[in-house]
Amino acid sequence: MESFPIDTLPSVGDIHLACFTGVRNAADLKERLQVQDKSLTFAMVESNLIMDVFQILLAATKAAQDNESGKLKTQTLSSEIVYNLSPTNNIAESLKRFGITEDTTSLIAVKIGGDPDEVLEDMSNTVDGNLISFSKLDQEKDMEKLRKFYKIDPKVTDDKAILNWIIGGIAMKNVQ
Amino acid sequence: MIHNAQLIKQGAEAKVYLAPFCQRQAIIKERFAKAYRHPTLDKKLTSRRVVQEARCLNRCQKALIDTPTVYMVDLENSLIYMEYIEGISVREFLVTAEGETPEAQSRVAKEIGTALGKMHNIEVVHGDLTTSNLMMRKETGGSVVLIDFGLSYVSNLIEDKAVDLYVLERAFTSTHPNTEVMFAQILEAYGESSKAAKLILKKLEDVRMRGRKRSMLG
Repeated sequence: MESFPIDTLPSVGDIHLACFTGVRNAADLKERLQVQDKSLTFAMVESNLIMDVFQILLAATKAAQDNESGKLKTQTLSSEIVYNLSPTNNIAESLKRFGITEDTTSLIAVKIGGDPDEVLEDMSNTVDGNLISFSKLDQEKDMEKLRKFYKIDPKVTDDKAILNWIIGGIAMKNVQ
Repeated sequence: MIHNAQLIKQGAEAKVYLAPFCQRQAIIKERFAKAYRHPTLDKKLTSRRVVQEARCLNRCQKALIDTPTVYMVDLENSLIYMEYIEGISVREFLVTAEGETPEAQSRVAKEIGTALGKMHNIEVVHGDLTTSNLMMRKETGGSVVLIDFGLSYVSNLIEDKAVDLYVLERAFTSTHPNTEVMFAQILEAYGESSKAAKLILKKLEDVRMRGRKRSMLG
């Protein structure tokens, strides 16, 4: 697990990220999300849609900001992180696109605040998979989906420009 | 606002900070309240301008014009978080040994003209084109980046685009002696990339005759 400070709101605590590969209980986790199981205290994101750590830190930072000002668009801070990854304002579709599915085998668990040891223990106990650090996650990204979800211009081809396009989409979500 | 943000520029409309943000260095532009305006009006105007600036930046990015990527827009506090461009401004470049050579000037002029043509094609008018608002990206070896869209707006008027170019021309002639050739090269490249170049360049001649402000007589 890796922890990053929220520069705009240091008092809230860190953003904790843990990646899991070879996940075996995605169907169960998905089910718990659907029934809004309160014991799930962190967000889970489909990892093949995350190009760079900046993308997820940005979505989490925005969620933390909106939580502070009481402006969450979704039910929980966790779902807000997933929702923020999407450039559209359609909540159901955003959660479906960036959240996990029953077939997910690789995911990123994200939690804002809390004691790192406890967070890690909770994540490891909940997700049945192999814990790896974010920097070790060298998985193929689903470029087809990324291009579709972020409406990336076909002329944009290098990774850095693609990432910038994605970041711009996330940033402009609340000022469309 | 981030507590260890470092103030790097203060203008009439905004303060610009450099600060760590999500493991990167970011620019934070803060539009501050104007005490002489009614608070309600001030809030509305400020918020509208923050949105306008972010939209113009994003619009340029989507048209593949190199501009800082917007990271986050905090309307409540009138902040735009955006990409920090490492490099020097064209203004600084033109007084370096390399920047004084005709070859370098010609390359940069071409890039500026092409970028401005593309920007006007998507109806974005910058509003404050100066050589300080044209940056050269260090990581690419000096490709041109347009910055500071604080006065930018969307317009399809030939007049607005011509005035945009005129403002840049004045910036060149007033700060950089002997750059007439370079400015002509900018217009040449602009002529190739801008769709309505002919009309805009013709209008530029009118604007030169009368200045930036249009006469409102009669």
